[in-house]
Amino acid sequence: MTGVSLSRWTMSYFAASLLALVAAELMMTLGYGFPNAPLKSPDTLVLVHVVALGWLSLLMCGALFQFVPVLVAKPLFSNTLPLPTLICLIGGIAALLLGFLTLAGRVQPVLPYFLLASALLGAGFALVLWNLGRTLWAARPLPLPARFVVIGLCSVAVAATLGIIFALVLGGATTYPPFLAIAAEGVSIHAIAGFGGWLTFTAMGVSYRLLAMFMLAPELDSPSTHAALGLGAAGLTIAIVGGVAAIWWEGQPDTALLVAGLIAVAALALYGRDMLHLYRARKRRDIELNSRMAALSLASLAASVVLMAVLLALGRLSDFIAPLVFLVAFGWLSGLGLAKLYKIVAFLTWLECYGPVLGRASTPRVQDLVIEQRAIKWFLIYFLAVWSGTAALLLEHTFAFRFAAAVMLVATSGIVVQLLCTRRLLNVGAEQRLPAGASRPRLLMSVARQS
Amino acid sequence: MTMTFVDLDVRPILRAGGEPFEEILSAVAALGPGEGLRLLATFEPVPLFSVLGAKGYSHEARELEAGDWEVLFRPTGVEKPSEAEVSIAAGDGEEWPEPVTEMDNRDLDPPEPMVRILAATETMKEGEVVSALLCREPVFLFPELEKRGHCWRGGFEPDGKTYRILVRVASQHGA
Repeated sequence: MTGVSLSRWTMSYFAASLLALVAAELMMTLGYGFPNAPLKSPDTLVLVHVVALGWLSLLMCGALFQFVPVLVAKPLFSNTLPLPTLICLIGGIAALLLGFLTLAGRVQPVLPYFLLASALLGAGFALVLWNLGRTLWAARPLPLPARFVVIGLCSVAVAATLGIIFALVLGGATTYPPFLAIAAEGVSIHAIAGFGGWLTFTAMGVSYRLLAMFMLAPELDSPSTHAALGLGAAGLTIAIVGGVAAIWWEGQPDTALLVAGLIAVAALALYGRDMLHLYRARKRRDIELNSRMAALSLASLAASVVLMAVLLALGRLSDFIAPLVFLVAFGWLSGLGLAKLYKIVAFLTWLECYGPVLGRASTPRVQDLVIEQRAIKWFLIYFLAVWSGTAALLLEHTFAFRFAAAVMLVATSGIVVQLLCTRRLLNVGAEQRLPAGASRPRLLMSVARQS
Repeated sequence: MTMTFVDLDVRPILRAGGEPFEEILSAVAALGPGEGLRLLATFEPVPLFSVLGAKGYSHEARELEAGDWEVLFRPTGVEKPSEAEVSIAAGDGEEWPEPVTEMDNRDLDPPEPMVRILAATETMKEGEVVSALLCREPVFLFPELEKRGHCWRGGFEPDGKTYRILVRVASQHGA
């Protein structure tokens, strides 16, 4: 049997991740963390990890438990592990944030928070790697999009390992000199493995498949896609292996990161060309909201690459790293995440509710679960706010940034309300909503029978 | 039994250094019921035998004068999807009847292909077969078919882009 069932806990991952996104936007609106606090302050670390772990990583894990099986046309290795995985990850994130808050003196160190965070996040990501790794291993030879996911999973292993080393150093559990050196100089490598390898590479792999699927474009298996994969993997290897080796022997990873950055630009350029090709080669002329909004997130990625190149040329990258990371996190990754959530929540809800009665009763279409005219304004406001926020950070205008964050918060809330309406079938006419044999989906879990 | 053959001469293409594979496949796709293909080539096209074998054609090759070859492809009525995957209950090697419905769902937005196949199975009798062409592997359809007790066989066609699924309707249409 090669079918794919609904991943029972994916909706819980999505709900937890959206809560983290709203929390992060609220923090930025209230002026918590950068730019009101210094870049490397504990408050900024709280904010960055709410975004990177709470929002983006939980979103990605929930999506992968559902979509790695679709990428490789094989069932998920375990449908029971995602729940303990989620509990470990949420517990680990909470412990990590409490650890940063003790550094800032805002919380009493009642428990060894950093050690707890190391154990829980280590266990959580190990479970993610085990479950998805076994699923992918059973499906060799892997189709091209799944190979991007493999690179992403290798990167999250690196990012988590470095994070655990940092936490052990911050928690006072080790004074091993190389670990101290990595904790002092390895933050950029940790961030590249996380934002570049894990989140960006995985998002690239998933986007190859989802965009082709939703726009009826031919699947890409072209030399440029292979080159994007190879160059991206090479860039990450140089950044991570070269960077760590450089810290170990010489103390500074800068040269390795510069070389890796140039290779990454080439890989992203090829990826951008592939995405343009998918949009041009599509058979559907009139594409859905998720594909149109994904184009804005791809534009944000292109803008990030241009911004990085300009800052490198001016020698100002380290001064303006915050606006660059902000644009990558909120324009590219969050923008793509929200756009795809809009379709994925509708599709999974539709399949869960109407799958059992398809062909037997009149059912709504997937598109009947959403009202795009209502959602589009929130998406457009969201992207405009993100781009304005990036500009505000570049111009070092703190108040304008907080205003942009407030607008992002409003827009995200609007999108979340639309997702809730979709999940509760509120956009479907009452006469069509629940034909005999269909059951109303629960908010946080999918109860379709597992095969 | 008499059989009509459609002639296809790919020798000019081959002599010009071209690749006639696409022409051959489209000529085969255009064959009517009971029609065969008479192919003329400059060499014995051995790789084609397995490709068209998978599409349900037997072959009979004969060398002509001047080193050219004539190959007669006859439909055998037994279609074997390449890299075939089957549902657990589908059995192996067992003959299925000819499909009563053929549908081409390649240009439909997901999940419309799945909806149409499930709708077709609801109107069919026990043991009848529906055949559908899709533009990708219908991974969400398989569990729905199995919950209803239907058997399926599927696989990519030799072009690697078209997925063909055959569904045999169960006696009691599942829960």
